[in-house]
Amino acid sequence: MKQVDILIIDDEIKFADMLSRRLSLRGITSQACYDGLSGIQWVKENPGAAALILLDLKLPDMYGTQVLAHIKETDTVVPVFIITGHGTREDEKECLALGAAEFIHKPVSIEKITTLLTHVRGEVQ
Amino acid sequence: MIRKPQMLQRKEWLTFLFHRHNAHLASFHTFSNYRCIWIISIIILAVTSLSPLVMATFINQRLIQQAVDAELVLQTERVTSNAKRSMRFFLEERLNALRFIVNELPYYALIDNAHLGEILRNLKLGFGGFTDLSIIDADGSQVAYAGPFNLEGKNYKTQPWFTKSIESDNFISEVFTGYRDVPHIIIAVRSINALGRLFILRATLDTQRLMDTLLSYKTNVHTDIFLMNHAGVLQTPSSTYGKIFTPTHLGIPEFSTTTNVIPPENKSDHAFITGYSYIITEAVSTPFILLVNKEKSVVMGTWLNLGRTFNWIISISCLVMMIIITLVSTFMVNKLYLADKAKAETMMKMEQSQQLACIGQLSAGIAHEINNPLALINETAGYLKDLYHFADEHQNDQEIMEHLDDILEAVSRCGTITSQLLGFVRQFDVQTSNVDVEKLITGILNFHKKETEYKGIHITTDIAPDTPAIETDRGKLQQILLNLINNAFQAIEANGCLDITVSHLSPDHIFIEIKDTGCGIPEENLKRIHEPFFSTKKEKKGTGLGLSITYGLVKKLQGNIRVESSEGVGTIFTVTLPVKMKKEDKA
Repeated sequence: MKQVDILIIDDEIKFADMLSRRLSLRGITSQACYDGLSGIQWVKENPGAAALILLDLKLPDMYGTQVLAHIKETDTVVPVFIITGHGTREDEKECLALGAAEFIHKPVSIEKITTLLTHVRGEVQ
Repeated sequence: MIRKPQMLQRKEWLTFLFHRHNAHLASFHTFSNYRCIWIISIIILAVTSLSPLVMATFINQRLIQQAVDAELVLQTERVTSNAKRSMRFFLEERLNALRFIVNELPYYALIDNAHLGEILRNLKLGFGGFTDLSIIDADGSQVAYAGPFNLEGKNYKTQPWFTKSIESDNFISEVFTGYRDVPHIIIAVRSINALGRLFILRATLDTQRLMDTLLSYKTNVHTDIFLMNHAGVLQTPSSTYGKIFTPTHLGIPEFSTTTNVIPPENKSDHAFITGYSYIITEAVSTPFILLVNKEKSVVMGTWLNLGRTFNWIISISCLVMMIIITLVSTFMVNKLYLADKAKAETMMKMEQSQQLACIGQLSAGIAHEINNPLALINETAGYLKDLYHFADEHQNDQEIMEHLDDILEAVSRCGTITSQLLGFVRQFDVQTSNVDVEKLITGILNFHKKETEYKGIHITTDIAPDTPAIETDRGKLQQILLNLINNAFQAIEANGCLDITVSHLSPDHIFIEIKDTGCGIPEENLKRIHEPFFSTKKEKKGTGLGLSITYGLVKKLQGNIRVESSEGVGTIFTVTLPVKMKKEDKA
């Protein structure tokens, strides 16, 4: 089982890679998945391995809310942060109802993400 | 403010005549030319209601005119006829008396002056009007004479009347002066004496008696009765044409044995109606024509006055009706106009809000699409910065760092814009709860505390004690007030004033007034401040979305926002909100 700090599920490959690299520069480990299915797969294979999950809503194979529902089935405790450029009020409501920790609009600063991680770790400890 | 639509305010009279609205609003009106509708309505009402009245008056006028004329003709005819009969009787009676004398008495008795004098006296007693009597033989020499003048032995052979009287049995002369210089009439009868010679019994009548008889038919000063001869010369004095023997220059009327009336030539009230009759006795025709002149206006004065009074009444009624018609038309057309205007304004507002909603949705769509590439730029630039930051060799290259920071700041600004654009769509959902306006305002002002102290802004809040907690969307109201207060803070220079007043003037609404002593908004910009992306803020401070979002939010809370501003003095934003929102709009 692979332990990572952050799991990034986003179809924008370059965005996910950039974020991943920037996090690693800060000593934060991350794993990027480029579609919903591989994301779900990763969570199933590595339950409890990610400290937090960043999830995009618009994915090529399925919608983010479906991915969120699957993840929550597998791992109820992991905090899932929705990071999207497309979110509507309805999406936000639905995601929060499904157990998402927060609904964040793109673009998001690296500081925000590191702060989130710090918070999550703080809560866990 | 809430206006009562039923009440037609004084200043709203005739607005349709003078009001000029813009072409865009006019396109929503059902009717375009209210002035034309007004005029047509007045004309139609006036024609339909006044024409029967005018026609009835006209017909009535004609009938009165005809009745007046007919009555006048009848009256004149009666007077003329009566006067003619008495004239004829006057002459006939005297002629017959003479005829009786010549038939009854022998010639020798007649030529006896004393006897003739006796006869004259008897005639004067019996008939009157005789001046003298004389017997004239066929040669024209006077044989006997009885009378006041000294005419004995005169010869009348050359006198025209003598020639005429010797030619016929009976003769009546015109009025003339003759030898005696007094107007008189001669009547003469011809007879034959015992010797078979013709002689004439001549009598002179004084005209006074004739005139008295004639004048007895003159009913008033405006009736003129007189005699004239066949040449148009007056035989008795006339009030119209003058003294006796004056030529009248009247046309000689057509000969007729009966009485005739010449109707007035013109229609004016001062026209004359003339009755005439040739005076013809049974035995001989006379040279007289009897004329009766009557002035129409005097004779028919009462009738004509009645007609005139009637005309006045009709004119005044028409005037009153016209005034009523005009007032009613004006009122109705104005009502129609106001209703149409209200409809047009509502439609325009609907169009505006639809446009706003469209812009909102479009903006949100754009914001969504931009957000993803923006995130990529953000991450890429961030990564570059990270690379330089974590790799020691470029750590102190300030220029590169500054450029990267510029990119990141630009991305952050874009992010603000897109998130505000998304707020446009967000504002369509409403979640109601009870909100204490005072607390909300205090909270927002606390947020600005530092800026207030720093700028030296004097803030007064005046919240009416009876202001109720209102049922509305807390988040939206907060954003509205935050936007307006932010706006005010940006406008206010150092040591300015900000007054916030909350009042509860109508039971269903509260009024929040935010008044600043800032720079004010120029009039040409006032209409545009609610448009998205309209901004006058310099140095890239504003996105131009604040007020347009505020406007949309207030509408969403079923309220109203009004702005008054004068440049250099300040701006007042007044937000009207319902105390309780209507349920159907909550969804």
